[in-house]
Amino acid sequence: MTKNRQVFLATFLLFGIAFSFQVLAQEPAQPGERILPNPNDPTAYTEKGADTCLKCHDEESEFPVFNIFKTRHAVRGDARTPFAKLQCETCHGPGGVDATATQAMRERGGHIAKVRKGEPRPPMLNFGAKSKDPVTTQNKMCLQCHERQNRMDWQGSTHANNEVSCASCHTVHAPRDPVLTASGQPDKCFACHLKQRADFHKPSVHPVRFGILPCSECHSTHGSSTASLLKKPTLNQTCFQCHADKRGPFLWEHAPVAEDCSLCHLPHGSINPSLLVKRPPLLCQQCHSQAGHPSVAYTGAGLPGGTPSAYLLAGGCTNCHSQVHGSNHPSGVKLMR
Amino acid sequence: MRRSNDKVRTEGDKTMRNAKRLFVSLALAVQAALVAAEDKPADASGWPAVDKSDWKCKYCAFQTGWSGEFELGAAYVSDDSYKFGEYTGLEKGGYAVANANARYTNPESANRWDLYATNLGFPYRAVDVDGGKQGSYKLRLNYSELPHYISDSARTPFIGSGGDSLTLPGGWVPSGTTSGMTALAGSLQDVDIENTRKRVGVGLTVPWRDWEAGVNVRHETREGTKRIAGAFLTTSAQMVAPVDYTTDDIEAAVSYAGAKSQVKLAYHFSTFRNGNESLTWINPFDPLLNGVAGGEGRLALPPDNQFHQLLASGAYQFTQKTRGTANIAVGRMEQDENFLATTQNGPLLQPLPRSSLQGSVETITADVKLMSLVTDKLRIDAAYKYDDRNNKTPQDTFSWVSTDSAVAMPRTNLPYSFTRNLFKLAADYRLEKRDKVAAGIDYDIYDRTYQEVAKTKESTAWVKYIARAQDGGDVSFKFAHSDRNGSTYDPLASPTLQNPLMRKYNMADRARDALGLRVTQLMGGTVTVGLDFSYAADDYSNSTVGLTSSDDMSIGGDLAVPLAKNTTFHVFANYEEINSEQAGASSLVSPPDWSATNNDVIGTVGIGLKQKALAGKLDFGADYTMSRSRGKTAVTGGPGFPDLTSQLGSFKLYGSYQFTKAMSVAATYWYESYRSQDWQLDGVTPSTIPNVLSLGETSPNYNVNFVSLSLRYRF
Repeated sequence: MTKNRQVFLATFLLFGIAFSFQVLAQEPAQPGERILPNPNDPTAYTEKGADTCLKCHDEESEFPVFNIFKTRHAVRGDARTPFAKLQCETCHGPGGVDATATQAMRERGGHIAKVRKGEPRPPMLNFGAKSKDPVTTQNKMCLQCHERQNRMDWQGSTHANNEVSCASCHTVHAPRDPVLTASGQPDKCFACHLKQRADFHKPSVHPVRFGILPCSECHSTHGSSTASLLKKPTLNQTCFQCHADKRGPFLWEHAPVAEDCSLCHLPHGSINPSLLVKRPPLLCQQCHSQAGHPSVAYTGAGLPGGTPSAYLLAGGCTNCHSQVHGSNHPSGVKLMR
Repeated sequence: MRRSNDKVRTEGDKTMRNAKRLFVSLALAVQAALVAAEDKPADASGWPAVDKSDWKCKYCAFQTGWSGEFELGAAYVSDDSYKFGEYTGLEKGGYAVANANARYTNPESANRWDLYATNLGFPYRAVDVDGGKQGSYKLRLNYSELPHYISDSARTPFIGSGGDSLTLPGGWVPSGTTSGMTALAGSLQDVDIENTRKRVGVGLTVPWRDWEAGVNVRHETREGTKRIAGAFLTTSAQMVAPVDYTTDDIEAAVSYAGAKSQVKLAYHFSTFRNGNESLTWINPFDPLLNGVAGGEGRLALPPDNQFHQLLASGAYQFTQKTRGTANIAVGRMEQDENFLATTQNGPLLQPLPRSSLQGSVETITADVKLMSLVTDKLRIDAAYKYDDRNNKTPQDTFSWVSTDSAVAMPRTNLPYSFTRNLFKLAADYRLEKRDKVAAGIDYDIYDRTYQEVAKTKESTAWVKYIARAQDGGDVSFKFAHSDRNGSTYDPLASPTLQNPLMRKYNMADRARDALGLRVTQLMGGTVTVGLDFSYAADDYSNSTVGLTSSDDMSIGGDLAVPLAKNTTFHVFANYEEINSEQAGASSLVSPPDWSATNNDVIGTVGIGLKQKALAGKLDFGADYTMSRSRGKTAVTGGPGFPDLTSQLGSFKLYGSYQFTKAMSVAATYWYESYRSQDWQLDGVTPSTIPNVLSLGETSPNYNVNFVSLSLRYRF
């Protein structure tokens, strides 16, 4: 790394750390932790259920909620859904305001039917990035119904430990949750995974930026025992989902291929063809030093202006060793048949 | 006759009934056992008994019936470029814009169907249907086509590209070098290299009480071509190989989710079939000028194979504060395609020890995890993972023929096996309500067979700080250090002699440092600022030949500003630098006498504006993204390489105007330009390399305009 880059890097890091402190040093806009009513207390709920909320949260309000009626959560005929249970309060918790609070609001000149601007809101659980309620409290609400199948690994997973809330990715009040579509999902992930957004604009990529392949084709975002939250028990098994031609087993295996695809390939994007970490011959020469052509240095002298080299140009090593993923030909020992 | 038929039917029905009864009672018994283990009454709903007598839901806007939107229009693509259409298949010409989504809902009966038809008029298209009676069953059907354009600049003299046999045109003049192939220029034909995947999927899920059973079936065909190359001794030709793959997958699962325990049992079966077992081709080089070389070569194409896997997962909430999970997946990969003959060159033919591989690899992946909140502030996670690839393929010694040209020293196949044991221990401690520190250690033991290092052990220690700011935003900082050490490096384990100083980078001793910083900030709850930094450096200090060091640094930032209620502006930038150094030795016994460095720099910036419902009717937005890359390669002892460069500019303008409640008109303009320079391709024609008849591809450059105009109708 050059000196200029080191200076740049140090400055950037210092700025980042200073910025971190600035973020942490902020005073909360509303002082004090909110105490949410106990969801197990049947008397804490409103008298009129959803009607209490819908009176104000119509399409004209700052927080419209009516799209919920286009979703699977508002299916009364399915006993498992919120609207078959406690309506809005199934997820947002009890919204009943007790007598003391009602009195206090009246004394401040408010009225309980409609909360005016600047008046304190009844303490209900809010979701998403702007919510001031603890992420674990938010997520617990979703998990009480959804902690099954692929969500059973959520607790203790990378996203859970990093305090990612369900609502940071999922939009519940939408006819079709964008994160569940191939075109809408990447933007949600890129909100935190900035590097990956840049990766998918590199010359050699998987087709994520065209809205064709969602991140969840390979990653199990709700937790997984495989590194990088991969969907299958191993990295290679994840790749074989689409590349079953490379699954083998082959008579002549290429050891790193059987071990880990990512030894030679980058999953998101690369400046080299076929998402390779490096180009042949240098990529291959990181492991091959056999006498003869693998051990020789190939310089710019082998370019078309000099003596065009079979080891360098077109496919490089793969001009002859084209079966790099393994060969089942009895004479494919050197991956040439 | 009729009576006996009836009797058969009755008996059949009885058997069915009995089977059903048996299944239900078994399921009930298992559930009863699980429920008993959870110590709760079977009918407890877990929800408080709220007085809902006054819950009229009169403002609830439940939707019954059909609703949806379809879009019809036309699009035009101005130019041809395989790189532009790499995964979209869009080429110069006109297309229909056809999208639809329709939804049937009945919140009372719980019937619901969703249909999404996307890009029907484009080469990449998808149709998804899912629905059913919610809570009773869910059916999913999907179909998609995904093209992959690989090249549009390839030229080949071979006839029959796309098939399994390549021949040369009449009058072909074989020669020892490409420049001597005097008929080459006249016989070159353009050949597009591309293939398309078509997928059909069907899935059914049936929930029942705390249970859910599901099955997913997927059938995929992939047809077209890909690049390949075949050699005769020291000459070679790049060619086009056929792709005619069929992959079928079935996944079936049963799961149980109770308040304390969740269990999932699944089976996955996958089969891969290739319509072509091999590719034969005629040697375009003069066999006589190359010694005793053959006239015809044959390459094996990917063999048919199968994969079976049984999976079981479980999670148990021991106490409010302690949870355990366990997973096991037992699989088997099989491949038993008949071997091809050792050569097409009759006189050199060698006998085979077996007619097929009888290849079998058993895989076991298992893990257990325990998470516990020891105190309100201290959490401990412990995990163990076992991953085993046991290659049970029989070994034999094969007499073989190198490149259909010469009988080589017999070789025994090496069925590589791997076993990995990974232990992880982590703790996090909540300092205040909104921030915590975490630390952990990982210990990774990797065993390999038939390779230079039998065992590597890697230990990692990491620390992390995570905080959520009081008014939104968060900060995380992580540092990790790993050390990997191997057992003795045995260069002789390789079947071909390597320089004894070579250390393969996946087994070499390595020290790794990784640093990450991520800050996001919600400024005043509206403006979002994010910063991201990651750095990882690998040092292979005991490697004299091979990869000696590498590092990757990435810095990114983004900013989103709501300019008005329905107007957002965003900008992002990312800079990445990837470096590596390696050393080589030009003879088997020499110390390293050459070295090489790679330095790749990639910068990406994007800017965008989005406006919703201007005057209640107009939505529009614009996005511009630019990505540039530069790759520097330097190898000592000779002239350098020109930079590898690429520059992608992508501009998109889109909008829709709603002129009635149901009807709107939408338009898109998309411009992309791409420039690239690649010394592996630039200036390389089919006859440039004396001993390789290449496809003569060029590095892609394009300017493409895409316009579309469509009408949307909402119902």
